[in-house]
Amino acid sequence: MSTLQKILNHRGLRVLFGPPGDLALARSSALGQGLLDFAPAMIATGAWALVTAVATVKIGIGLAHALAMSALVYAGSAQLAALPLIAAGAPVWLILVTASIVNLRFVIFSAGLLPYFRDLGLGKRLLLGYLTSDLGYLLAVRRWGDAAPGPQDRTSRTWYFLGLALGNWLAWQSMSVLGIVLADRVPDRWGLDFVGILALITIVVPSITDMPSVAGALVAACVAIVAQALPLKLAVLVAVVAGVAAAIVIENARARTGAGA
Amino acid sequence: MSELGLDLAIAGLVLVTLATRSFFLVIGHRVKLPLSVQQGLRYAPVCALVALVVPQLVLGGPAMHLTVANPRVGAALVAGALMLWRRDMLTAMSGGMAVFIALRLIA
Repeated sequence: MSTLQKILNHRGLRVLFGPPGDLALARSSALGQGLLDFAPAMIATGAWALVTAVATVKIGIGLAHALAMSALVYAGSAQLAALPLIAAGAPVWLILVTASIVNLRFVIFSAGLLPYFRDLGLGKRLLLGYLTSDLGYLLAVRRWGDAAPGPQDRTSRTWYFLGLALGNWLAWQSMSVLGIVLADRVPDRWGLDFVGILALITIVVPSITDMPSVAGALVAACVAIVAQALPLKLAVLVAVVAGVAAAIVIENARARTGAGA
Repeated sequence: MSELGLDLAIAGLVLVTLATRSFFLVIGHRVKLPLSVQQGLRYAPVCALVALVVPQLVLGGPAMHLTVANPRVGAALVAGALMLWRRDMLTAMSGGMAVFIALRLIA
């Protein structure tokens, strides 16, 4: 029995990975690979968690509410959009509508993830959905590559995605707690939000590798700037739709001329 | 905002996270997307991150500011270029940060 299999025999891990054997080995190594691949992105998630946590405390909701919000809502951009509304005492429905619109890009992501996870039970699909992050999805797509999405390799894909999600979750939760506790001692001039932006740039750049992704990124950037004028924070959604459409158009054109083959 | 209002808002926000992120994973079995769209969705996270980051770079101030003398734009361009060249996150981030600090001192 190998060392890894001995470790997998531990009671806690049996609950997670199932009885020791080839399946448990495949699950745990895919989870570990996901965690490892997410490690560099933890800087980005951590910086955003810190910024979000500090902003949450600074609008003056108490410690318990700030902790509950960061731990459970688990959505940086939606929380940052909701905070000024909460501070202004806006009605709850308006806060929820605004957060929903900021989160609409995840509805699009969920359509992209469906082909990989459609055979899983409802509970597992809900869990993987809840744990989906921008960075986790980006890195999953990078690993899965151009292969047609489908039910093949379901075990390794599911557990790899879970590993990425776990990396994001750990970075978010730890830095949120730190940010909430240290909120009063983190000055704005540190430019923490800019550290987060730089980290995101270094993660996105390696994904822009071919003509469709270049076109998608350029169109998304331009549309996002122009669409800032739209109400209700619709800019990101419109930019994603336009960017994906541009990428598909280029991809199809290249397939027709044979350039993409 | 009242305590109860805050409780309600936070509970609602948790449901919003769950509902948006698992939307098609839960109801998608009835929807059949064309293959090209299904394949095209792998570009969605790149587009989303670009759409989240770029406006924060160029609209950081009161007005749109697209020149390299904008510390954020200059630093972002340097970080992106370094990442393309060296493929190393730490190099790219420290280079970007150095340019950011330098440009802010000059400005």
